[in-house]
Amino acid sequence: MKDNSNITQELLETIERYYNDSMSKEERIEFETKLQQDTTFKSQVEDIKLLLFGIESQSLKEKLNEFHGELPIQMETEDPSSKVRFLHFRKIAAAAIIIIASASFWFFSGSSNERLYNSYFSPDPGLPTTMSSSNNYDFFDAMVNYKQGDYQKAIDKWETLQQKEPKNDTVNYFLGVANLAENKTDEAIVFLKETASKQESVFNDDANYYLGLAYLKNDDKENAIKFLKLSTNENSKKLLEKLK
Amino acid sequence: MQKVHNTFTPTDQSTQFIEGLKRNDERILKSLYQNNYGKIEALVLKNNGTKDHAKDIYQEAFIAVWRNVKEEKFVPQNETALQGYLYTISKNKWMDYLRSKQYKKTVQVSKLVHFDPSDHGYETTDDDIFKEKRLEGIMSVFKTMGSPCKELLTTFYFEKKSLREIADELQIEENTARNKKYRCMEKLRELVLASKS
Repeated sequence: MKDNSNITQELLETIERYYNDSMSKEERIEFETKLQQDTTFKSQVEDIKLLLFGIESQSLKEKLNEFHGELPIQMETEDPSSKVRFLHFRKIAAAAIIIIASASFWFFSGSSNERLYNSYFSPDPGLPTTMSSSNNYDFFDAMVNYKQGDYQKAIDKWETLQQKEPKNDTVNYFLGVANLAENKTDEAIVFLKETASKQESVFNDDANYYLGLAYLKNDDKENAIKFLKLSTNENSKKLLEKLK
Repeated sequence: MQKVHNTFTPTDQSTQFIEGLKRNDERILKSLYQNNYGKIEALVLKNNGTKDHAKDIYQEAFIAVWRNVKEEKFVPQNETALQGYLYTISKNKWMDYLRSKQYKKTVQVSKLVHFDPSDHGYETTDDDIFKEKRLEGIMSVFKTMGSPCKELLTTFYFEKKSLREIADELQIEENTARNKKYRCMEKLRELVLASKS
């Protein structure tokens, strides 16, 4: 609130209608035109909107304490020790299964495509992580994990960002490469495709290359060739030669 | 009895859920809150936190989620997507907290090179920070506002009751309720302004 600029009852109620999305089409158009033309009006509207939002936020905050007081009780009485041990056993069992499965996969299905993939795949070196304090902190924070080889941690962080910006080419690209490094080929393909579909992206070339690699890993030679051809990357050309 | 044609597909149910959340529907808020707290508490307790920490972090995350949905910064496909989002935000907030406590003194942030992955990125601008500060100010002023006004504004703006209903409850004329609401808003604006200087 910059000053005491007078807000009439009528203006307040108009802004309420706008805020609640209950304006008629004509009224909305008129209102929005005025918003664009009149900066004083605009800042009045912004002020009131923030005020209404503050009221709602504080009310919610107080409501949450009420909800918290009414939480079902059985949750509080869980016996933590037995649960931990149980989970532990399950974790070990799951880990054992994964190890056995991946070992046997390695033994029995080391196809030529797989070998080719292994000799060509190395994760993107990543972006420089020196940064100013506020800009894209989350993105670069994950980049640090990525560069340290902690791909899963990087994936977790980037996925949060990706949910907010599902179309961002940079995040999708690195999510793709990180997933590929973690051997999650199917996830990798989804993310890489997003960036590979954006011609204007600086990562487009590399996205196509990694996408080709991902398909190669999946033993899908046809798609591998298709995407490798879309990349002008040196390695792409070499790899294409070998695939022919 | 005539059968009413049912037009609700599962997608409509999700939409109803999201719309309910935006409208501050108490039942929906309550079930979302209560159904997801357990997971967050377990996470925080396992990672050096207490129940109080869990509650604070979870409530902060819950408000952030509610807000992002309201402002359509996050558009969930369904309730499950929203639950995942709530969990991730809580988790991140907790990690941030741990980091701030433990590494405050050791982390050096360099300002040498600055690379922006994209200009339509998700960075926070100074404007956002400014707005955030003002919002916090409004919230704390409203928190301590005298009860008749606070109650009236909560019922109207948060619970979304109509002036008619409010007037009936208070046994006053609708127009009186309307004027009261306006005066309370004026009062709140005044208090917010005063709190700044």
